[in-house]
Amino acid sequence: MAAESSPLRPRPATGFASPAGDYYDGGIDLNRHLIADRTSTFVMRVTGRSMAGAGIDDGDELIVERARSPRDRSVVVVVHDGELVVRRLALTPDGPVLWTEPRPPELPASTHVGGELEVWGVATRSLHRL
Amino acid sequence: MIWTAASTTAGDGTRYALVDVNNFYVSCERVFDPSLHGRPVVVLSNNDGCVVARSAEAKALGIRTGTPWFQLAPDADRHGLAARSSNYELYGDMSARVMEVIGSHGAWQEVYSIDESFLGLPAASEAELLRVARAVRADVARRVGVPVCVGVAPTKTLAKFANHIAKRNDHLAGVCSLGSLPVHDAAALAERLPATEVWGVGSKTGHKLAGMGIQTVADLAAADPLRLRKKFSVVLQRTALELRGTPCIPPIDERADAHQIMFSRSFATPVESAAQMRDVLTVYGQSAASRLAARGLVAEVVGAFAGTSRFASGEASHPSVAIPLESPTADPITIVRAAAGLLTRLAPEARYSRAGVVLSGLSPAGSIRQDELDLFGQPEAAAPGGASADVRPEQDVSTVLSSVKSRFGKSAIGLGAGGVHRQAAWSMKREYSSPRYTTDWADLPVVKA
Repeated sequence: MAAESSPLRPRPATGFASPAGDYYDGGIDLNRHLIADRTSTFVMRVTGRSMAGAGIDDGDELIVERARSPRDRSVVVVVHDGELVVRRLALTPDGPVLWTEPRPPELPASTHVGGELEVWGVATRSLHRL
Repeated sequence: MIWTAASTTAGDGTRYALVDVNNFYVSCERVFDPSLHGRPVVVLSNNDGCVVARSAEAKALGIRTGTPWFQLAPDADRHGLAARSSNYELYGDMSARVMEVIGSHGAWQEVYSIDESFLGLPAASEAELLRVARAVRADVARRVGVPVCVGVAPTKTLAKFANHIAKRNDHLAGVCSLGSLPVHDAAALAERLPATEVWGVGSKTGHKLAGMGIQTVADLAAADPLRLRKKFSVVLQRTALELRGTPCIPPIDERADAHQIMFSRSFATPVESAAQMRDVLTVYGQSAASRLAARGLVAEVVGAFAGTSRFASGEASHPSVAIPLESPTADPITIVRAAAGLLTRLAPEARYSRAGVVLSGLSPAGSIRQDELDLFGQPEAAAPGGASADVRPEQDVSTVLSSVKSRFGKSAIGLGAGGVHRQAAWSMKREYSSPRYTTDWADLPVVKA
């Protein structure tokens, strides 16, 4: 994330200064676009297809922010049975419910959270290779 | 007595907080592997030799730091004991995150080690100091996911002491401000705890102190500072003054303190041949050079050393050599060449178990235009006829090296043996290593969908 010299940065012209030089501020920076807070943002590798309907497929890279507070309908990473699991969170009057979101025609499955729900972080993006 | 009121409320009201991560290495492992929660976990030293970090559960089993792993391995399953190799890529990245979060809560910050930081807090009421200390703890837990303890006091030494109290008293929930403790409680603790619990007082000093009748923290605080200076050192005098509430330990100035950059490791198997040692120096030279560049420094001297194992039979050998560079540089090619060139003077006539490359004579890059001052250097800018770009083609190579590394990972490209992908026999043994979760795309933590 450190600002390093980019191979894309225009080389200094040997003759005349580039008229665009003053306007160049580093180009598109994916870190800035994808990561709001570098101290609390982590990337995870998705395995399984139970969230494909939410745009999170097997092998995708998931950007997860720990500092973000989960809300109703957030996609969250939770700790379940010693593992990290990604689910859609629904905050209902009966307590939190975690939903899978498979691609139709499969049916989603829900899990009512009995004890304390341990949210690891909120997923903000899925990086999907085309 | 001297200890009580002055110790907890002295000074101009500014306070030091000492924030450290509980069982740092283990806590880092647990963030990405929740199955390690509630279990005894140990982290092993380089080459999986012995225990360097323990979870609270492992401490409760009576496992001590320094215990060789081969003694624990046979009973590990029976105790549900999990072991991990030291994963320095992970710990380094997590440390950087923790330190950034801690630093955002104070007026200034002094990072003391990979898992501890002093934090300066402006004068405030005790209630406000406690609120900030609790906020630091909650913020690190939320953002990074590791537990910290916070000790707040008028001096660094007392902040360490407060941190110690926070760690050992569950009802304080990881936070202790010395000024918030009832005065007689703090005094009672100081009278009960041995002087060796004080920051910077080792067991040897503790022994000598005991001979002078100085047994406890309170004894040390009450001791005559001048006598301590005469019998020991100015360091212990400062410690005693700090225990009385007078701040006198100067900040660590990283620039003034860092006289050298060293990259050294123990080998999994001893290095005996000149060819292997050349590979070692090439690889370590590149690692040292990238640390140098990352800190924006140039070096004047390249050194190398090697050593035989303390436990090996035969004659011990610890050669150490250094050569000055033509002009200060951060150029990895120049540094690696110099390091490899030291080989002839470091002739491997022994079974070396450890080696390192040391860069010294450090100064900030660009602080002196050496190429303008040095008669024997090659002044780039002054070269007439536009030929300047060809004068030192190596500078371009180093730019390419670092950009390839930043895009494709540290082992994607390298000089000589630094470019090999296959692990050489002498490289570190890390049998139980967790993935490099936060620094390598191939090692990301797995989330089930």
